[in-house]
Amino acid sequence: MKIGILSKRETHFTEKMKHYYEKLGWIVKIYTSKNSSINEKLLENDFFILKSKQLFYLYAGYFLEANNIPVIPDPEISFQNKNRIESKYLAKEAGFSVPKTYLGTVQTIKNQIKKSEYPLILKPIMGSGSRGVKIIETKQQLNGNFDGILLLEKFIFGTHFLAYFIGDDLCVCEKQPLTNEHAEVNLVKHSDEIKEILIRWKNKYNLLFGHLDIVQEDSTNKLYVVDSYQKSVI
Amino acid sequence: MVKIGLIIDNYHFERKVTEFLKYIKSKADLNLYLEESYLLDLSNSNFNEDVFFVKAKGDLVLSLAKLIERNTSIPVINSSKSIWLAFNRFLNSTLLRKAGVNVPNFSLNPITHSAPFSEYIVKNVADQNNYAFKAIIEKNKGKLMIKDERAINEATGGKEPYNYYYYQEFIKSKWEYKIYQVGEELFFYKQIPILVNPDKMKSRIKIDEIAELREIAIKAIECVGLKIASCDFLQSKNGDYFLTDINSSPNFNYIKNGPKIVADYLISQAKK
Repeated sequence: MKIGILSKRETHFTEKMKHYYEKLGWIVKIYTSKNSSINEKLLENDFFILKSKQLFYLYAGYFLEANNIPVIPDPEISFQNKNRIESKYLAKEAGFSVPKTYLGTVQTIKNQIKKSEYPLILKPIMGSGSRGVKIIETKQQLNGNFDGILLLEKFIFGTHFLAYFIGDDLCVCEKQPLTNEHAEVNLVKHSDEIKEILIRWKNKYNLLFGHLDIVQEDSTNKLYVVDSYQKSVI
Repeated sequence: MVKIGLIIDNYHFERKVTEFLKYIKSKADLNLYLEESYLLDLSNSNFNEDVFFVKAKGDLVLSLAKLIERNTSIPVINSSKSIWLAFNRFLNSTLLRKAGVNVPNFSLNPITHSAPFSEYIVKNVADQNNYAFKAIIEKNKGKLMIKDERAINEATGGKEPYNYYYYQEFIKSKWEYKIYQVGEELFFYKQIPILVNPDKMKSRIKIDEIAELREIAIKAIECVGLKIASCDFLQSKNGDYFLTDINSSPNFNYIKNGPKIVADYLISQAKK
């Protein structure tokens, strides 16, 4: 079998995957945006692994699926996950609480969002992780150079968890609010409530592995899903 | 009276819907949702319109349309998904080809790679903004290489979605065919291709229906999911029609009585 891996890099985890599959006797090629284009040449493989959520690779995934080459995870689900508005809809449909979320131009937001709604978290509409994420404590902080439509969500004061699952295995870490994904985290024992959220998420969208960013609000103990990262099952 | 919600941006509001607004205001109650001044609260889906008309393709516009689609039973024309597919050139070419619609050969290449075709047009990958095609034309050994200035600016602007070029193989054609669709009705025009004469309207003429183009246009528009659309076609030297562009926000002022036709269609689609 010929396997293609769509990945930003040829090193790190991608390299390990390649070696692993090669040991099993398969032919593996890594496709990065530096060494490949998206056209019929990709169709020489039997199967693809979508390792990056950058648009170039998602487009490649769509193209491959349209040409009947299986891709995991599902590019459609990966795209929904990358689009924060889509991912909020997915979380809501799974029955989770999500923070109040607004979209508007910087002027609209400054004029129409009440002072009591601050602090807000500014997040890129397309993206994942901490890149471009910023806390906005007052509307004066929106005086800078902001273009286009902004997505802002109400900041939830509370304990922040990164909740992972691979198959039936769960792992929950506590992290400091507003730190990036590379900051140190503490492994914690997961509550039944977080376990239930993860299982519901996994089952609702038929996922093999993924993770949710969850915040437990101090004042109410209510759990909010603030970001989702999902990979679909084959 | 029917209540219509118009989801629009400043660009279209100021330039494209004057006649439409004059007519529709005599037939329906109109609520305006202007992208530049509307605050979208994703937790609020209290809408009392009978139908929504989306005449733009920005992020807030699409998110509002999606919210209405997900949380209400009010018809939204065009749907958020169809608009998204229509402006996403690579995705709609992929989808249309799969559905059996003739599209020119295409490739998505990192900007550092050489061109995959000897004659080509580089177009912007996602045609979401409101600015017009501006061709930069090069000829080398009789071969035509065209780049849309927008595509170059976007690809070199450092934003993640535009680190690559969308190449479309060039189809030499005497005429460019423009088909508008409003619901079930189709309107046929042809003009000298924009690369030969940038003033497209000067050469545009209304033509009789071409059965083959009707069939392809309907298939393409259905495939993308649009209700109001336009399609551009070129005809190769062996007579095949190639769909080069599909547009979710056509300028219906170019159709005789276009604003009225669109308005009446929207009223007919209102929630019963």
